[in-house]
Amino acid sequence: MLLVLFGTGAWVLPGLSGWVQVFAQGSTVIRIAGSTTVLPIVSRAAERFQSRHPSIKITVNAGGSGVGIHGAGTGRFDIGLASREITPNENQRYASLHTTVIGRDAVACVVSSEIFHAGVRTLSKRQIGYIYLGKITNWKQVGGPDRPIVVIDKETHRGTRHVFMHYLFGNSKARAPGARLVTGSNNEEQAKIAQSDSAIGMLSIAWMNEDVAGIGIHEGGQVIQPTLDNVRNGRFPIARNLNLITAGQPAGAVKLFIDYLLSEEGQRLVAESGYIPIHSPHAVSRVAGSHSK
Amino acid sequence: MIQHSMFHEKGPVFWWTGLAGVMAAGTIVILFASLVIESVPVFKAEGISFLWGVDWFAGENYGALPMIFGSLAVTGLAVVMVLPFALASAILTSEFLSGRARLMVKAAMELLAGVPGIIYGLMGISLLTIWVRDVFGLIDGNTLFTAGLLLAVMILPTIMTLSEDALSSVPGELRDTALSLGLTRMETVTKVVVPQALPGLAGAVFLGIGRAMGETIAVMLVIGGIDRLPQPWFNLFAPGQSIPSKIGREAAEALGFDVQWSALIALGLVLFVMVMTLTFAGNVLLRKAR
Amino acid sequence: MNRRLLKERLSMFALYGLTAGGGLILAVILITVFTKGAPALSVSFLFEASRNFGLEGGIFYQTLGTLILMAGAALVCLPVALGSVLFQTEFLHSPQLKKIFRLLIYSLNAVPTIIFGLIGYLFFGVFLEAGVSWVTGVLILAVMILPTLHVSIHEAVETIPKHYREAGLALGLSPGQQMRAVILPQSLHGIVTGTLLGLARAAGETAAIMFTATAFSGVDLPQSWTDPVTTLQTHILVLAQEAANPEALTNAWGAGLVLLAIVFILITATLWIRSGLEMEAER
Repeated sequence: MLLVLFGTGAWVLPGLSGWVQVFAQGSTVIRIAGSTTVLPIVSRAAERFQSRHPSIKITVNAGGSGVGIHGAGTGRFDIGLASREITPNENQRYASLHTTVIGRDAVACVVSSEIFHAGVRTLSKRQIGYIYLGKITNWKQVGGPDRPIVVIDKETHRGTRHVFMHYLFGNSKARAPGARLVTGSNNEEQAKIAQSDSAIGMLSIAWMNEDVAGIGIHEGGQVIQPTLDNVRNGRFPIARNLNLITAGQPAGAVKLFIDYLLSEEGQRLVAESGYIPIHSPHAVSRVAGSHSK
Repeated sequence: MIQHSMFHEKGPVFWWTGLAGVMAAGTIVILFASLVIESVPVFKAEGISFLWGVDWFAGENYGALPMIFGSLAVTGLAVVMVLPFALASAILTSEFLSGRARLMVKAAMELLAGVPGIIYGLMGISLLTIWVRDVFGLIDGNTLFTAGLLLAVMILPTIMTLSEDALSSVPGELRDTALSLGLTRMETVTKVVVPQALPGLAGAVFLGIGRAMGETIAVMLVIGGIDRLPQPWFNLFAPGQSIPSKIGREAAEALGFDVQWSALIALGLVLFVMVMTLTFAGNVLLRKAR
Repeated sequence: MNRRLLKERLSMFALYGLTAGGGLILAVILITVFTKGAPALSVSFLFEASRNFGLEGGIFYQTLGTLILMAGAALVCLPVALGSVLFQTEFLHSPQLKKIFRLLIYSLNAVPTIIFGLIGYLFFGVFLEAGVSWVTGVLILAVMILPTLHVSIHEAVETIPKHYREAGLALGLSPGQQMRAVILPQSLHGIVTGTLLGLARAAGETAAIMFTATAFSGVDLPQSWTDPVTTLQTHILVLAQEAANPEALTNAWGAGLVLLAIVFILITATLWIRSGLEMEAER
């Protein structure tokens, strides 16, 4: 047993000594957390940025848009990630929140691929609303197979939910009595929809893949598909900005990082992650995002 | 040592160990007090009806009933499902196995009791939910039942090993007397040993219940996460929410923020009271058995 | 007589059946972790940093994070546990106080761990201003494993034969000297096993640290008192939420296997020490 302890110690100790050195020196840390939609972009950018600026450390966490905004407001984080706008309530509570937009994204209504392939390719806004209200409970009621609908909702502080509910009901805090499950991050929602064969949910378009298909929205007599083109030209109705929230104007290392995200290289990362760069000078070659697995 | 009062000996050792002692013993008191103090805001906002409110929407309403129900439901399920297995293996080990085999089984149980909850969670979300859905023909496998099943497996080693202790500590003479009176071995077990060990067995079950009620991660990933009472209330194949699961999901969002934070702490307080009552009862029973 | 025999046979059958069933289920879990996790294991997995949300790369810093939290918790907890046991055994003489003391410690053991996270954050994160950091995590875990260490050390101290203490008293040792010369050396096995069990318990804990001590990416080793760490447990948690992605799952299982290995090594060491003692006691 002593050997085991010794072995562990020998393994950890060299790392420890190097660590103690850096401990003494200290370094700048940028703490970022929030929306899981913005997370992939920022995570990748942080990796590249840190390799160029070794004295700046960036920690990134998930949590949801609500966590990001509140965190930025209370000073827990240097940058909060949000996939929705700041509400008037939040603005009142925190004096000087500043928003920097780094990209655009859309929230698609997604269904399990089995449902999509069984013929449900389009739903109207009202149908989706009824499904979430629990008034439509079987896929056959909307042209699909005879199977109960597994309605997947999201935690109420998630930016994706705010935007989706606002579109469906005009109220970002609407209740969804028809919901069967509640998920948190985009990853979890994607996984649960893929695992099921009769689910419906709300997901950032960058997360659609072969198991999770985005359906067209029937509105105003036309069907609008959830494609990046439709988001860019403004036709897709459920679109949102991808925001970085800071307490006041960004400065110092935080400003450096944000500038990096806004630079051409940073914006290319936005596109590679499956979203739309804010300036969008060049066409994006992928339709679905990098989370297609 | 001739001492008239505890404070007669005032050397530094006394004070240092005393400090440690007070810290250790005082922790739970501080814990409870903090839970109570931090819960006040939500009770002010919702009144005592917080405990039976059925609607929870952060920023508007806070009602704890779905979570309380969920915790009780999954724990109840877990206990009902685990009991036959735990008792059977405890009886087998204590009454019918040789000394060495018994030690091996106990060692195995101790190892298994240490398996981290996240591993059960991983199994649950990647395998169990799909299995439950397919075997029971449900539309989705994230249900109270699934969580109960997972918990049952989690607490099996704990209940088994404590029950085994209770059974082994029944004096051998009782068994010998019963056998000499013509009872078969199984009859000895059911009519003599088990009744004698009942307080210890009950204690083991209570402690297992306490552990099941407090488990967060494994439950969080498979229970469905929806703050709703099942319709009808006994439909355990519906999704739901337990107290630790709710806290786990919302804590990061609410860290420190007035009413929502207070509501989560209040949930914690309810859980604390429930678990403490059960554990207290369990400990009393276990000590009666010794 | 035949009916009784039949009943006996049937019940034995049921007993074996249920036990086998229970054993089977537990075995299935271990086998699953092993078979699903082994493919992920490789030298690079163990010693590389994770990349691309844990889909690629390894779990080096996660493993270190778990070890840091474990070791830190044990280091902080040990003096307090030791001190409180010694206080209880050497200075508390009234049986009522002893009972109350024991009750308080046992109660602490039953507290649901997520509550440690909630209140721990209040105390260490907000009050001490350590924020979401490894220090907060260490302190919370230290409180959590206190009963584990306390009970083990207490048992060891209580079983020290009376004549050892009497010898010490006869020599005129003060309580402090008594502790150093007699009690500590004689209860060493309890201290060690208690610490090992505490380490194992801290390693397996996710709920108490997930929103109080950890970050998902961007952290390798904490660079200051207020930096978060990344741990195996929370890494698995995040990867588990990508349950439909086989790469994520494989890495999750791999991390799970490593975590399980750590816990099992610690518990096995405990069992080994204890059995060594039982053999000694039989001499």
